[in-house]
Amino acid sequence: MKARTRAAALLLTPFFLLFTAVLVVPIGYAVWLSLFTEKQSGLGFGGSETVFTGLGNYATALGDRAFREGFGVLLGYCLLYVPLMMGGALGLALLLDTALARARRFFQLALFLPHAVPGIIAALIWVYLYTPQLSPVVRAMEAGGIGFDFFSPEGALPSVVNIALWEWLGYNLIIFYAALQAIDRSVLEAATVDGAGAWRVAFAVKIPLLRGSLAMVGLFTVIGSLQLFTEPLILSRGTGSAVTSTWTPNMYAYSAAFDRNDYGLAAAASILLALTAALLSFAVTRLTGSRKERTA
Amino acid sequence: MSLSWSRTSRVIAGTATALAVLTACGGGGDDADSAGGKPVTITFWGWAKGSKEVVDAFNASHTDIKVTYEEIPSGNAGGYAKISNAVKAGNAPDLVSIEYPSLPEFVSSGALQDIGDAFTEADRAKLLPQAVDLTTLGGKSWAVPFDAAPQAFYYRKDLFAKHHIEVPTTWDAFRKAAEQVKKADGKARIATFFPDDPTTFEAMAWQAGAQWFKAEDDTWKIDTTDAATTRVTAYWQGLLDDGLVHKNASFSPEWTGSLKNGTTLGYLGASWGAGVLKGTLPEQAGKWAVAPMPSWDGKPASGMLGGSTFAVTKGSSKKAAAVEFARWMATTEEGVKARIASGTSSAFPAATALRPAAKKAFDAGYYGGQDIYALFEAAGASITPQWSWGPSTGTTNTAIKDRFGAVAPGGPTLADAVKAGHDATVAELTKRGLKVEG
Repeated sequence: MKARTRAAALLLTPFFLLFTAVLVVPIGYAVWLSLFTEKQSGLGFGGSETVFTGLGNYATALGDRAFREGFGVLLGYCLLYVPLMMGGALGLALLLDTALARARRFFQLALFLPHAVPGIIAALIWVYLYTPQLSPVVRAMEAGGIGFDFFSPEGALPSVVNIALWEWLGYNLIIFYAALQAIDRSVLEAATVDGAGAWRVAFAVKIPLLRGSLAMVGLFTVIGSLQLFTEPLILSRGTGSAVTSTWTPNMYAYSAAFDRNDYGLAAAASILLALTAALLSFAVTRLTGSRKERTA
Repeated sequence: MSLSWSRTSRVIAGTATALAVLTACGGGGDDADSAGGKPVTITFWGWAKGSKEVVDAFNASHTDIKVTYEEIPSGNAGGYAKISNAVKAGNAPDLVSIEYPSLPEFVSSGALQDIGDAFTEADRAKLLPQAVDLTTLGGKSWAVPFDAAPQAFYYRKDLFAKHHIEVPTTWDAFRKAAEQVKKADGKARIATFFPDDPTTFEAMAWQAGAQWFKAEDDTWKIDTTDAATTRVTAYWQGLLDDGLVHKNASFSPEWTGSLKNGTTLGYLGASWGAGVLKGTLPEQAGKWAVAPMPSWDGKPASGMLGGSTFAVTKGSSKKAAAVEFARWMATTEEGVKARIASGTSSAFPAATALRPAAKKAFDAGYYGGQDIYALFEAAGASITPQWSWGPSTGTTNTAIKDRFGAVAPGGPTLADAVKAGHDATVAELTKRGLKVEG
């Protein structure tokens, strides 16, 4: 018994050491930072003094319209991105599931490939494709009579959603496809024998059986959306687009720290975002968890 | 694996790399000034053209001080964030490059040390007074000014001649020239509005006589609605609304591309821009010329656009050596020559006596042998001296930049953007506990 405890302790130590060093300590430090602010006197050229401000930074963040608008942008992003992503990935997975075996291999790879491109590279490529004087896409669209400014205030959100879709569609498609492959073939055969066509099988048999994967992908997509950062950051820097430096809450924190030198505010904003993510995950897991219990 | 997970791991990997880089860049704080016999080693962070060549020349000619140069991204592209973080983490280099607009912010965050005792009155007397003023804050001397950066208008003299366009000397004439350019070639424009770079716009306001930040006793007076600013804002709004200028990010691929294919005929920049054009468009040698910035009344006037200073960080124990190196870069003939001879720098030294040396070192063949330094000299003398920078340039300019991107016909205006910058500045200074009016 004792030997087992020791072995367990030994095996778990590296995990807890890393966990403490890269998660617990930084979070603790962020909480600590968020309680302080810099104060100056006179014209401000005498240097600054760090003073305790309690929840002052949290109040500043919540009172800042830019920060609140960031959550509005996230909401808009989710409303546009999540249905497109889920619908697109599911639709393509169902198509793949019915396609010829050889074509299936090819499309699986082709659709997954964008996911292998790092997010920052993807964003840079897309910025190039969005830029009016450079992009062959914009030129082709203009030739076809479609004038769409990807950098305009109206175009910014779809532009970012498009990049994210390109990056993540293939990945989620694979999850759905794997789940489809795991469906017992005899169930599908039974449905066919009972006279169900391909549409009927898809909607009445396959999709209901995918409920678990759908919930999981939905959860990850929503939580991931809260972290929206890389793609809009690339769009906001050096393009002159309408994406502001505080467009999403993550960018707000980044800008507070690195444009405005206000580490306390940056820490407070990060913690508020983390709390939102935690609450949301909790709510979603509870929701899907209880439904599972009911269906079980 | 989920989306958030891989993002998190990416962030962790990024942070780890950044930390490794920071530690590697830190340099030791172990030995103090002039330990007997052994040379003092100082670390210098910068990004200006020709910096590496200057450091090499210094190291080759000095035995008592050794400089380690590390190139960082330019200030607004992340360099300033890197410097602030390093200062906060206690592993900053001894000497850093900071442009005039950002100097007050670094001073007020306590990142720098007063160098008044090492960089004396006699040193400062050699420099352009406007540059000295911008580095003297609260009665103390905070940095060694390197270049003065008077504005200048670069233009394609071949295309101007082809379309029979006169080089404008006033802003009214500039607008007419802009119309002529557009008429001659529907795709071409006379110049570019940089939505990502408020400092170019601020230099225009400065030139017109604006004074956004004024320190009076213990109070900051912020004024962005004066006649000069209003005039400049309305003028540029007009150019944008009528599609007379391109709207592209500064130094972006689309800006460079439009210069390459001749659809941008001019560049409203500063003295250092001569080196940038030469480095970016070597194939257009002989096609460019420089003119003084157009002005409102036709009399020479200039703001200052960028321009570097060298400052010693708070934690450095080698102030004397760092200032010595900065002084060599900024006020000696060898220092200035070494930078300009690199071929990519057209820096216009703040040290007035060194301008002939700078002129000699710069190969003006690209500009058809035009005496561009004489032009900078006149422009430098015409820099209107009223302007000073506020202590929160990061906040001010981020707010303006964010709104500039959204400026569109029928949508938000340049005036809205300037107002947003104003409000953000007042809020930031209030938050820091400073007295503000405006």
